[in-house]
Amino acid sequence: MLNLASTQRHDGTTPAQREPGMSTNDENAPEIRTGQWEDALSFVAVHQDKAAYSELFSYFAPRLKAFGMKMFGNEQQALEMVQDTMLNVWRKARLFDPSRGCASTWIFTIARNVRFDMLRKKQSRKDDISADDLWYDGNYPEQEDSGSHQWDTVLMTEKLAPHFDRLPEAQRLVMVKVYLEEKSHQEVSDELAIPLGTVKSRIRLALDRLREALDDTRS
Amino acid sequence: MTHAVKYHPGIPLLEQYVEGTLEADVALAVSAHIDLCPHCQQLCLDLSAEQGLMLEKSAPAAELDATDLDQMLADIMAQPQWNGRELNTQPQGPVQVQLKDKTFTVPRALARLVEQQTKWTQLGSIANAKLPAGDKRHVSLLYIDKDTAIPQHTHKGLEITLVLSGRIVDEKGSYGVGDILINTPDDTHTPRTLPDEDCLCLSVLSAPLQFNKGITRLLNPLQHLFY
Ligand SMILES: [Zn+2]
Repeated sequence: MLNLASTQRHDGTTPAQREPGMSTNDENAPEIRTGQWEDALSFVAVHQDKAAYSELFSYFAPRLKAFGMKMFGNEQQALEMVQDTMLNVWRKARLFDPSRGCASTWIFTIARNVRFDMLRKKQSRKDDISADDLWYDGNYPEQEDSGSHQWDTVLMTEKLAPHFDRLPEAQRLVMVKVYLEEKSHQEVSDELAIPLGTVKSRIRLALDRLREALDDTRS
Repeated sequence: MTHAVKYHPGIPLLEQYVEGTLEADVALAVSAHIDLCPHCQQLCLDLSAEQGLMLEKSAPAAELDATDLDQMLADIMAQPQWNGRELNTQPQGPVQVQLKDKTFTVPRALARLVEQQTKWTQLGSIANAKLPAGDKRHVSLLYIDKDTAIPQHTHKGLEITLVLSGRIVDEKGSYGVGDILINTPDDTHTPRTLPDEDCLCLSVLSAPLQFNKGITRLLNPLQHLFY
């Protein structure tokens, strides 16, 4: 069977390891997001800034409504979800931590939790598992790196590249640039105009999918 | 953590968990796994980021009543923002459960339910405590003494077992803390504990209708590649 990890261990200093796209320590430092919406949320948190909140609201409320219409198929419930979500964004703004993710991620998780608890309360049968149980809002303690991105790039590309086409398009694009065109994470971020954190997270997601694909081909 | 988790929920399950579309009892088992698994913690952050971007890039609702939204905006900003204690209502960490003279640690996801109720029913070398997850839900803590086979029962949905303490083994593998086992009604393996080690698990029996759509991969057996 394949053993990517041990191959790497015997070959700790191959040039491949220094290829673009391989993680280095400073690339692993948490990225502090500083976009329009992240800044707006910080203003809301620190200064209770109503202008910044109004901007967030006028962008996200109509999109949340569309999301709610899709989920509930009912305008009244969709609006209730928008109201509860945006109220939480206002009340809890200081819980937003730009080193953990984008403003859009945070707003999405609030909307998901609101929607989940709305559905739960509307069900006729009693259901006591709440969004608070299911989705932890805090930081998990830092863990030792599992070493999942310290493989030999060359070996990996050879095995994985044939499966790139099965990836969701956004992930495929990043993988092609990093592993086939050998661009650095930063270059890919600049080229695609997406945050560095998004490049890294798409690589991690793609690698997990590819591992599943590899596993399927062998069973 | 010295033990590396080897059996993870497959990506389709994690995706549905992150979207909030997974049935609550199955989501609870996935959530408890995530509490124990740094790998899946990271994957879920990444999947949430993708969902967030989709929301950000999505089209606004077509039919919008501007005065409705203006009113909503004004109502919200008239409310006070929160500080301090009211901001965090969630259980923040694992909790302990007692069974006779033994103490076990269970993950944060189960903390609230476990603190509401843990009444053990002993049946030979197995003890069961049903958690108050709701009517018709089958979510329990299952204690299995050493050197004991887990009794088979027929069940039309999925049977999810998450190891919380100790170890169980079956014909296919050996499962330690954090490992998740997902059995469909067709699976016929017989898990048991080791001769010298007891085990505490979370057990979820899901309703049969949940998986009509067919989740192609329930498990992500990373250990084939990494261990
Ligand atoms: Zn995991």
